[in-house]
Amino acid sequence: MRRSSALDEALIIAGPVKGALRLTAVNDAAAAQRLKVGMPLADARAMYPAIAVADADKAADARLLEAIADWCDRYTPLVGLDPPDGLLLDVTGCAHLFGGEAALCRDLTQRLAAQRYQARVAVAATVGCAWAVARFSSLPGSGRVAGEAGRGVDAATPPGSIRSPSSPFSGGMGEIIASGDEREILSPLPLAALRLSSDVVDALAQVGLKRIADVLDRPRAPLAARFGQAFVRRIDQAFGREDEPITPRLPVPAAMAEQRFAEPIALEQDVLGTIERLAGRLGQTLERRGEGARLLQAALFRTDGKVFRIEVGTAEPLRDAGRIRRLFTDRLDVIGDEVDPGFGFDVVRLAALAAERCEPAQTGLAAPDHAAELAHLIDRLGARFGSRRVARLVPQDTHIPEFAVMAVGAGQMRACPGRSALRTSAPHPGHAEQDSLAPARPVRLFERPEPITAIAEVPDGPPAQFTWRQVRHVVIHAEGPERIAMEWWRDDMGHVLKRDYFRVESREGLRVWLYREWPSDPQQPTRWYAHGVFA
Amino acid sequence: MLPAEPMEQHLRRLRRVIAESEAQGIPEAEPRIALGVAAIDATLGGGLAGAALHEVSATLPLHFGAAAGFALTLAARARAPKKQTLWIATDFSRLEAGALYGPGLDQFGLPTERLLIARVARPVDALFAMEEALKCRALSAVIAELHGEAADLTATRRLILAAREGGALGLLLRPHPSDAPSAAHTRWQVAGYPSEPDGLGGLGATAFSLSLTRNRRGPSGQWTVAWDHHEHAFTALSRGVAETARDGSDRAPLIRIG
Repeated sequence: MRRSSALDEALIIAGPVKGALRLTAVNDAAAAQRLKVGMPLADARAMYPAIAVADADKAADARLLEAIADWCDRYTPLVGLDPPDGLLLDVTGCAHLFGGEAALCRDLTQRLAAQRYQARVAVAATVGCAWAVARFSSLPGSGRVAGEAGRGVDAATPPGSIRSPSSPFSGGMGEIIASGDEREILSPLPLAALRLSSDVVDALAQVGLKRIADVLDRPRAPLAARFGQAFVRRIDQAFGREDEPITPRLPVPAAMAEQRFAEPIALEQDVLGTIERLAGRLGQTLERRGEGARLLQAALFRTDGKVFRIEVGTAEPLRDAGRIRRLFTDRLDVIGDEVDPGFGFDVVRLAALAAERCEPAQTGLAAPDHAAELAHLIDRLGARFGSRRVARLVPQDTHIPEFAVMAVGAGQMRACPGRSALRTSAPHPGHAEQDSLAPARPVRLFERPEPITAIAEVPDGPPAQFTWRQVRHVVIHAEGPERIAMEWWRDDMGHVLKRDYFRVESREGLRVWLYREWPSDPQQPTRWYAHGVFA
Repeated sequence: MLPAEPMEQHLRRLRRVIAESEAQGIPEAEPRIALGVAAIDATLGGGLAGAALHEVSATLPLHFGAAAGFALTLAARARAPKKQTLWIATDFSRLEAGALYGPGLDQFGLPTERLLIARVARPVDALFAMEEALKCRALSAVIAELHGEAADLTATRRLILAAREGGALGLLLRPHPSDAPSAAHTRWQVAGYPSEPDGLGGLGATAFSLSLTRNRRGPSGQWTVAWDHHEHAFTALSRGVAETARDGSDRAPLIRIG
């Protein structure tokens, strides 16, 4: 879709549509040569044998639309996709930040034009109306300003637009339809502007209904009976008689704060300073609600349209600006190279994607707040190394050694040690107070048991010597066997895995946890493994 | 450029600050962690320095389990109410020497709910995590497993400063002894030692052969100790008893069923 050279040459894009290769997009030069979207490629080639043709790439188009949607996030967090070529923005309560709806439209189209995208923008009280006007209105962009809030913006990239440096978009700055003017604006538009399928449009054309005005005053029941309930619903949606929410493509944050810059910032210090300032504002919002953030996201909007999103999680609800800054400092230390500021960021937004109730903790004047300090350490190490890498060991209710303990991210479970035990399914019987009769377990367990060779004096007995990592060890003491078999309800493969564990001590004082694996087939020889080491 | 007079004042103030911090450099009443064996505690001058850095290495990689066990016992003895322990391991160390296994740790008096584990990719990450963790006052001990010579003099000095700030015990755990210069207070070499049989045919209490190769406060020494996991304390093993235990190697191993 991107052409850096061949400025004035006609370019068409073709892809399979209804079993034939048809044009899916044309640039301005091609449109001037009477090439149209939907025309068979063979016809276009017959007209212009030397024309440049590119293959349609739907996946790339979708990615581009996502990228533009990401960029549109600077106007509102509520951006919905309208594939293949449209975006829906809910600008309710956001427009005043840009100086009104007209100014927002101007800003949007100018910035898109600077990135060499053509766009048609319409602001209306309903999604249906904005959609229709953006795609079908032929009125010159006049900037009819309305003072009505509660609006959707439809920014459609028209099918005929190819990003091309030769033709920066210079049309109107967007249509703004006042609430109540829908009827007047929509009436002259063709029925396809109601987002109907082509079958319905064709069927309506057969009975002579071509414009929206033709159906508006007709009785609804026969229309619904003949053309389907969906048809009537589309009319209602366009005129605001039925509510139609925009489905945001990204989760809407619980709270957010943002800062815009007339001069873009590029230094890491400036970015972090901005984040800290925003964190202060975010913290006030959260404090009023009695909440703290569990998942924070900083969105850095680069001037050329790229958006970087950096997320950090927290172990405890957090609203301390200094600590939030530290978390992002650590995260940026790791991923800093990926966040290329280019010519700078002009919008920085900090959002609490997840917030949780935060009990105001009573802290003594002198006593240091250990729990908060530990939670902060966990967050910082998690931000730097990955939240799953800072973990606690949670005992599990199974006797299979590999599964007897599970590493759970410390950020996921509250750092309070008293509560951590409650969150596990069932405490291990010998866990809280070490039972002196419980069989001894090694301090280190190998992720994969290591095969060893061992010689036993009697077939079922403990090894008399074994070779592990190419060193031969003579056993002087051994304890066992301790039979551990697969739990019968897990035995879905029909294999009965039986292990006889021995705790052995070598002449050098090495203490190892070995086991003999009994094969499911008695004809097979038994095998020996080292599974862990004792202190 | 600053004018001359404020600069002089500035220097004077800085000198005073340095003099003060040097005076505080070796605080006399620092916390001590007694091991419970009189001979060792006497050598250490009352016990292991608390808010300080110590190095524990295995004599051979084979004995890394024993070295880890000794580090665990020290961490268990450093335990303080409401404080936790952080264990930092690199991915390499985890593959090579196995992952810390929860059920086995309880025997060292270190309950798993008081233990945090951090897995990092590189030794430098382990040092970073250790320094940050030592500064945190909510931890009683921080242990980092290090393969290779990642911790040099500067790194260990930074760790000591961090330990002093946070008041935690820092332990560097290595699979083999290191000759690299280090600012650590003590250096230990640990090997497993054949245990005294418990008389019931099983393995006796975990025994270590300890060698204190460097001690900033006194002489070095060598001991053989056993860890009593019921009392969470060390007991000295007399050489004689240990020798007889070793002589028992030729008899057939007894088997305890269960």
